[in-house]
Amino acid sequence: MNFEVAPTESVTRREFLAVILAGFGNELLPLTGDHGDEPCPKALLSVADKPMLDFPLSWLEQSGIEDVLLICPSSHKHAISHYVQSSSASFTSLNIDIQTYDESQEMSTGTCSILRHFSSRIQEDFVIMPCDFIPPPSLPLSTILNKFRTDAMSDGSIATTCWFENSKLDKGAFPEEWGPPPTPTTIVWDDTSGTLLYVDTLDDQDRNGQDFELRMSLLTRYPRARLSKKLQDSHVYVCKRSVLDVLQQKRHLDSLKEDFFPWLCKVQYQATKRGKYGHTLGVVSNSASHSMSMKHSTLYTDVPKARAFLDVRSHASSPAPQSEIGLSQPPSPTGSDDDESITVSLRIGLHVHRADSGYAVRTNNLQAYLEANRRFLSETSYVLPSDPTKRSLIDHKAAISADSAVGDFTRVEERASIKKSVIGKHCVIGKMAKIVGCVLLDHCVISDGARLEGCLLGGNTKVGTKSELKGCVTQAGYEVEEHANYRNEKLDVSDWNEGHQRSEDSEEEGEDDGDEEDDD
Amino acid sequence: MTNATETQTQTSTQLPAVATGVAQPLTDSSPSTSLNNDRSSREMSKAEQKADPSSSSPTAPKPQREMTKAERRELQEKQRAEKAALKGQPVTISIPSNQQPSATASAAGPSTENNASGSAAKTKQQKEMTKAERRELQERQRAAKAAAKTQPGPSGAAQSQTAAPRNVPPSPSPAVQQHPRSGAGGTHRKLEAARPDGLGGADARGLRIFSHFGTPKPPPTTKGDIHPAIVRLGLQFAEFKITGANARCIATLMAFKTVIQDYVTPPNNTLSRHLMTHLSPQISHLVAARPMSVTMGNAIRQLKLEISGSDIDLPEQDAKNALCQKIDNYVRERIIFADQVIQETAGSKIKDGDVILTYARSSVVEKVLLRAWEDGKQFSVIVADSRPMLEGKKLLRVLSKVGIPCTYLLLPAIGSVITEASMVIVGAHAIHANGAVFSRAGTALVAMMAKQHSVPVMVCCETYKFAESVQLDSFIKNELAPAGDIFDAFPRSRGQEKLQTTGGPNLALLNPLYDLTPASRITAVVTEVGVIPPSSISSIPLALGRTTI
Repeated sequence: MNFEVAPTESVTRREFLAVILAGFGNELLPLTGDHGDEPCPKALLSVADKPMLDFPLSWLEQSGIEDVLLICPSSHKHAISHYVQSSSASFTSLNIDIQTYDESQEMSTGTCSILRHFSSRIQEDFVIMPCDFIPPPSLPLSTILNKFRTDAMSDGSIATTCWFENSKLDKGAFPEEWGPPPTPTTIVWDDTSGTLLYVDTLDDQDRNGQDFELRMSLLTRYPRARLSKKLQDSHVYVCKRSVLDVLQQKRHLDSLKEDFFPWLCKVQYQATKRGKYGHTLGVVSNSASHSMSMKHSTLYTDVPKARAFLDVRSHASSPAPQSEIGLSQPPSPTGSDDDESITVSLRIGLHVHRADSGYAVRTNNLQAYLEANRRFLSETSYVLPSDPTKRSLIDHKAAISADSAVGDFTRVEERASIKKSVIGKHCVIGKMAKIVGCVLLDHCVISDGARLEGCLLGGNTKVGTKSELKGCVTQAGYEVEEHANYRNEKLDVSDWNEGHQRSEDSEEEGEDDGDEEDDD
Repeated sequence: MTNATETQTQTSTQLPAVATGVAQPLTDSSPSTSLNNDRSSREMSKAEQKADPSSSSPTAPKPQREMTKAERRELQEKQRAEKAALKGQPVTISIPSNQQPSATASAAGPSTENNASGSAAKTKQQKEMTKAERRELQERQRAAKAAAKTQPGPSGAAQSQTAAPRNVPPSPSPAVQQHPRSGAGGTHRKLEAARPDGLGGADARGLRIFSHFGTPKPPPTTKGDIHPAIVRLGLQFAEFKITGANARCIATLMAFKTVIQDYVTPPNNTLSRHLMTHLSPQISHLVAARPMSVTMGNAIRQLKLEISGSDIDLPEQDAKNALCQKIDNYVRERIIFADQVIQETAGSKIKDGDVILTYARSSVVEKVLLRAWEDGKQFSVIVADSRPMLEGKKLLRVLSKVGIPCTYLLLPAIGSVITEASMVIVGAHAIHANGAVFSRAGTALVAMMAKQHSVPVMVCCETYKFAESVQLDSFIKNELAPAGDIFDAFPRSRGQEKLQTTGGPNLALLNPLYDLTPASRITAVVTEVGVIPPSSISSIPLALGRTTI
């Protein structure tokens, strides 16, 4: 006798698959440089005591998406899968499938080719997300998903993206040596319908930074298009499955953000592109049953203007690729005479998130990373841990300001002073050490009397006694010798000597540094 | 008509800003409501007879007496609503049947007493008062007490207590609403704070008596096993991307086809028993997005019947295919083919040189006009339209594209052109068993105008739009259009949050979506089974040998 109750299977089909792309984070070097043989994946760098990856994952969980395809470099797989499994308690509803690709930090593969490679695993509409987008609470993912759902059904939009307004960075807040701030991208969009029309790409800028071309066909269709330089791409793209088919055709495109989506924007209003790719893109939305209900809708008219463009209907004779969705839909109840499909717009939806409605950031460069950490500090206030064992690690004479965060099991010695800083777990802060506006990752050791200001220290960094660092970034495992004095430098483990020579060329202080390094 | 205008101004005092075009049909229908409600159901036909002259001969004294009664009724309802709101309960304006005799009793009593001042009413002996009056007095006192409770300030309490009895029927705004600035404002603020649904202050203040109307909600959160097709469809409904009874019914059925195809019967269960439990959360998800249309209700009822009747022994895929086939048949027979028959029937009524007046946009009417034009009839069309949906514009675009000479105007201009029209053709959301047509707000006004000028009114409506219920006015059940800017296009182009503040705290927008046209104002209903008078709607299923619609 079998009394076992059969598990009730979910009878609904999943709607979206989330694809999280976790790269090396070359923009965050040297923070993401290897620590010995151990990699430091960008996805696991912490922002306000949580790994960066935590933000997109909880964002997904909130929106009800359950299936996640996490793509990372094969060298990072171990660390990331360890994190995902250990913290799985917080993401119980997510099925995270970690897949890897082989690439080295120097020769990174384009996001397009990664997506092409994994396209067989994506069978439904999908959401591409970066691992470094930190969404504000005022922007749930379901807002973007709902826009996609509405647009995709009502007028055949193929993708929806989200751009957010950059919060202003203070001039001089970050040392110039950290690299130039990311150049803002110019985009053209239509506000009424929320349509992304044009993204100014780097190639075009090479020709002439100030000029760019807009097609007349764009302006005829969207006479009230808007142009802005203030917005930044969140790299969150909700796409139809058919977008992948087009991606397969466009072999030469390399980056999703810089090549593919700017190109995809143009399909909707450029007649030749529309003719070529229109039927691949628009095939699913064009189900006859939906067009029938739209034709009865009292607020819908088949806009005559759209007829000027090559209609998808003209391709109806060519055999349509049978998609999964297409298969499960039985034929239309009406005869073929009533079967004519409605025009699809093939547009890319755009959700614009303004800065005043919440702070959004992509922590994909050093400035943004430090800024994001500081932002989170201003929202929380530090209180001494209540747990007596943790409490005992922090000397009662240490001064920790309220706008700081100190990780668990970090020891803070006598008269150390911490202001506006994030200190990771298991760190040791020595006596009289002074830390202002810094981010220290886990296992850092700051010796007595060291002074740090505006620094980003990778994991396991050791700072010698009485050394002074200002605006520096260190690789994981870097050891700063005693009495050293660095300003605005990126300190790598691998090329100590190169770094020494560079600093000699650029700064007078380099000589002093060099001497001390030689001593070591 | 003087009475009608009077009530209109009075209502607009309570609802500080009502988009005028929309307010008219509502006030137009509400007096007739209260007329009908005052009588018991067996006197219904009598009431209709009385209602008729009231529209045709506006200066007659009888309607005036009835109007004051109607106003009294209104006041009672409002006070009850007020009380219920004070208790924090949902406001339900339902009229218990046991009150109807009392109302008729008061109708027999002298109505001049209504104008007596509050002090007179107080001094009057309880015995002399009619039952209705006593009841009214009680209500008023209770309302005053409740108001006094919520505002402990002595001035406020005194005001409301003195104000309440003074307020005898002629001015329907009760005491609490008359002094929004002094004491009662405080209660209002409290009420707004107490509202659990977190609606804006404007909604809470002006539209409280309409709070039972279905309002567009933010997209419901997807919980449970909601199929993606349903999630997307729900959004289309909530965003008003798919509107119109036919379109919504077709879209729903098509989505259900996908749901059924993706459905897998769990082990130890049968499709005919389990599928409905799977479908019902999907249905409630759609209803949460926007109240269900009558057409959807009828179609879903039919679908349920088919599911429960499906053969247990059939292999699962076959059973699913059979169900999908049934759905297809339903759409084809009840909507598509029905429309074709209506096209022919109604088209035969259009003659060369006719001027057809239509209101808003109905998919059936559009088909009829296009077909008649294709058949070579030479006619012109007047498209009347109104805010906020401006569906007529879309119809205009379709009609003028094929070359039909069209005139476009908004509802206020209808009086100037109604004499030009040779026929009014309108669509319907539903037709109730008493022959009343539930349709886009404004239709009642058009029909009334046409009746006044002896222009025939033809309603095109498939039989699957018949509702078995009886509806007497557009107040019991209605829907509100999303709060959009009245000067803005529809569907709204700007975000909802931006628009809600445009009115400021003193402006509330009210856009009921539907109104009810009484059967007396409709000349004929064109259905796929023929042209019938509206009163014989309820006999159709019987004549076709069906038990259900």
